[in-house]
Amino acid sequence: MAEKNVSMAVDLGGVCMQNPVNTASGTFAFGSVFEDFFDVSRLGAITLKGCSAEPWPGNPAPRMCEVPSGMMNTVGLANPGVAGMVEQYGEYLAGLEGRGCRVIVQAAGHSVDEYVAAVELIEELCPWASGVEMNISCPNIARGGVLVGGTPESAAEVVRAVRPRVRRPLLVKMAPVRVPEIARACEAEGADALSLINTINGMSIDVRTRRSRLSKPTGGVSGPAIHAIAVRMVWEAAQAVKIPINGMGGIATWRDAAEMILAGATSVTVGTANFYDPACAADIVDGLSAWAAEQGVTDINELIGAFEC
Amino acid sequence: MTSGGLAVHEFTVALNEGVADGLMRIVISAPELAAALAPGQFVNIHVPGDASQILRVPLSFSHADAAAGTVEIVYAVVGDGTRRLSEMTAGETSTAVGPCGNPWPTVPAARRACVVAGGVGVTPVVACARMLAASGVAFDAVVGTQTAGKLWGTDVLEGLGAGAVAVTTDDGSAGRRGFTTDALADLLAEKDYDVVYTCGPEVMMAGVARLCRDAGVRCLVSMERMMCCGFGACGTCNVAMADGTYKSCCKDGPVFDAEEVAW
Repeated sequence: MAEKNVSMAVDLGGVCMQNPVNTASGTFAFGSVFEDFFDVSRLGAITLKGCSAEPWPGNPAPRMCEVPSGMMNTVGLANPGVAGMVEQYGEYLAGLEGRGCRVIVQAAGHSVDEYVAAVELIEELCPWASGVEMNISCPNIARGGVLVGGTPESAAEVVRAVRPRVRRPLLVKMAPVRVPEIARACEAEGADALSLINTINGMSIDVRTRRSRLSKPTGGVSGPAIHAIAVRMVWEAAQAVKIPINGMGGIATWRDAAEMILAGATSVTVGTANFYDPACAADIVDGLSAWAAEQGVTDINELIGAFEC
Repeated sequence: MTSGGLAVHEFTVALNEGVADGLMRIVISAPELAAALAPGQFVNIHVPGDASQILRVPLSFSHADAAAGTVEIVYAVVGDGTRRLSEMTAGETSTAVGPCGNPWPTVPAARRACVVAGGVGVTPVVACARMLAASGVAFDAVVGTQTAGKLWGTDVLEGLGAGAVAVTTDDGSAGRRGFTTDALADLLAEKDYDVVYTCGPEVMMAGVARLCRDAGVRCLVSMERMMCCGFGACGTCNVAMADGTYKSCCKDGPVFDAEEVAW
């Protein structure tokens, strides 16, 4: 088959992936449960559920509601803590790295100090990890309604504090706001790659009870509903910086992933679709390979940012 | 933890019919799924036809018939997903993720059980009764609904050998006027149960749990939450525990010991 001739490997800021397909934090747990559906080692990378230095319980129920072409969540980064994650999944994840799939550990925090504490534990306890993604954009843990990474200044502050403590490639997961400015701020502080977009803050109100359909007034919208916005933001980020972009937002098929690559994403990350089509990430690997062959390239890298206006 | 065999299973609708007001019974043909399911687990069904509804519909089943290769699901039509499911006809195909969640546990040395169903909670309760009947545990049943027209399953429970089937309705149109807890209180006073299994509205299960605690009887509850995946990836279906922690409805449940749950 023609697609065999296409080289699919990409370099996401030092995370060397066998193909561009990654999974989004919070949608793929710690990988192992998806082995029931497909061979996870076929993916370029997986990004783990965000972990903080200490375990976090997350928000009360209900944490999820459906919206047209998407869903909204307020999980609040419930996680077992870095040490708890390593205890339960470290062996599996080290093995997954050995099988050729890169593992990106995500660090969560509410403050600069908490991010520093999380990445220091990751450096100590996750020697197998290929990269660290710092999530500075979870809408569900914002304190006083302010995102840690909501301005170029605050994003720069936290990247500056964390960068010297991370010896591996550092990805920054950005908020879907002020994209070019925040992207440039993160690049200037030494980020190796940018992950975008995180969920877009939304609201859904039950008009009978007049209450939020979630346990909080707002939540993060994800799924196909936000895909077009995500493609635009990935394109804007790719114009603004030289470091590679890990593109995500509503990717459910290889076409969605191909769009992201054309907009400038080096890697393409499957999120919400993992919930309802749990083997789709593997299907996207196959679909992208066929698409690249059909586009007549010998290397998928030729298609990154190949969008023509 | 699941009992294994978690996969996306293709199915064909064998029949889909109304069985009571707002209640439908669908039988799907999916031999591998039917063989893998244990009573108390659930499936997460894709209802085709509306791309704007991306998530599956998680549903308990009343009978997984390995010999026939079918799964029977009695479901309430409550939202767009179940409304569209109710419009599927014999021969149509789709997929179900399963088995999801943990089965009802059998309680060692239990000789006599009571199963308590409220509303569409009757579905996993009927599956439980099948498990009890198959393992030789004697059981009584309480089935409660708002009104007579919404009742389903009493004949099935009788057919499975229930010693007594007490019916309650909010309006008194069938059985005793009142709640399942009224009937259960009387049964607990009369009989010596080793365990009570229940599924229904959370406020009802809280009442059942309270009665069981007072009577010193173990109580197992099947919880429901809004959820996405059904296999522990999304973290959205949390249930608050009495010790202040959360557990996942799909992965740690849906069956919990009533004493664990923060009512």
